[in-house]
Amino acid sequence: MIEPYIELDDVSFAYERCAPVIGGLSLKLYKEQFTAITGPNGSGKTTLGKIMTGILRPQKGCVIICGRDSAGMKLGEIGQRIGYLFQNPGLQIFAPSVQEEISFALGLKGCSKEEIDSRVSRSLRDFDLTNLSDAFPFKLSRGEKQRLAIAAVLVNKPDFLILDEPTTGLDMERRRALSDILLGLKEKGIGMAVISHDRVFIDRLADRTIKMHGGEIVEDRT
Amino acid sequence: MTVPLEVRDLWYGYPGGKGDVLKGVNLAVERGEVLAVVGLSGSGKSTLCYCLSGIVPHIYQGNLRGQTLIKGTPTTSMKIPEIATRLGIVFQEPDNQLFSPTVEDEVAFGPENLCLSREEIGERLELALKQVGMEGFRFGSPNQLSGGQKQLIALASVLSLDPEILIFDEAMSQIDEQGKAGIKSVIVGLKERDKTIVMIEHDFDNLDVADRVLLLRDGVLQPFEGRL
Repeated sequence: MIEPYIELDDVSFAYERCAPVIGGLSLKLYKEQFTAITGPNGSGKTTLGKIMTGILRPQKGCVIICGRDSAGMKLGEIGQRIGYLFQNPGLQIFAPSVQEEISFALGLKGCSKEEIDSRVSRSLRDFDLTNLSDAFPFKLSRGEKQRLAIAAVLVNKPDFLILDEPTTGLDMERRRALSDILLGLKEKGIGMAVISHDRVFIDRLADRTIKMHGGEIVEDRT
Repeated sequence: MTVPLEVRDLWYGYPGGKGDVLKGVNLAVERGEVLAVVGLSGSGKSTLCYCLSGIVPHIYQGNLRGQTLIKGTPTTSMKIPEIATRLGIVFQEPDNQLFSPTVEDEVAFGPENLCLSREEIGERLELALKQVGMEGFRFGSPNQLSGGQKQLIALASVLSLDPEILIFDEAMSQIDEQGKAGIKSVIVGLKERDKTIVMIEHDFDNLDVADRVLLLRDGVLQPFEGRL
């Protein structure tokens, strides 16, 4: 029997002094599936993604990652397994240059200089950022920041990816390029959950579509 | 009659940047016209919005040549409040635009600064929130909204100003299908009221409300022929 990579068991979450955003939600996500998470604005999709990556901790219920209760895991431990793309890429960019943004996690992992250079060059090429490799990330356009943030997440080779609105700010050509890259990762066995309103993108990639409304799953289709 | 929004041979490069982002842009947008601008990311679309709205050169200086004219007056000779009474811009990233503790304060901020009567501020606030379908969030904090909802509030805060010219920089990028349909009908309504609209779009499905589509490629504005 295939084990879920991420499992949420009766999870509830409310922001301080606010009504619950997620109420008693249970869900299993598998590495073997590309899961799309859809639903209207404010339905709890981004909150769900942040709960799955440990950025937000549920007030009730538990999140199990690879068979372990994530309540006992540090954010860094979760980050080694799950790559997360924020809805606003400006929130996760911090390095003084594009190439340093991409190489940062590889340096922390202790990769050799040759390996870092090779993976960063490949990543710059994949995301059409080679000519911007020395640019200051905060001066990039929204779409360029989005490509950089995705590149920095993917270069880390996580086992599972949670991407929040990855096509926002991307033009049609870059959307197609991103879906090609994600299809390649899917073939390599990387699990993915993608929060998106982009129907064309979802229809091309998703094996399973979860629809949320009012903090609950109202449809789960494979 | 004076053209509401006009750009004449505009060149612009950011301070410390490598060369010009905009290279000789010429543009005139008429009353009641919806102009869409498409292009690859990094082609200069948001920079064009900054130039149209006077953010360049009032906020970002850089190397600017040529002119942007709002109703015949160069933005360089207008003060920001003067521009803001005529032109409203919805930024690509709503987090860059929202600053008030409640949605109500956010949407009322513009009309309050226009020194309108309390009654009119109230009417504009209600109408703007209704137009974007966010009436139920009036007393909440913008910080606790989702990305798409923040975009809707940023849009409402511009609609409540009721400017003659509106610039939407990918204003629908995080909004769900129902919300997009609602905003497109708002744009059609604005056009019927003779407003001048420039929309930056990546999603070709949203171009159906545009009267004209132009392509910005490497800082040069040209007719759009279906390919980026």
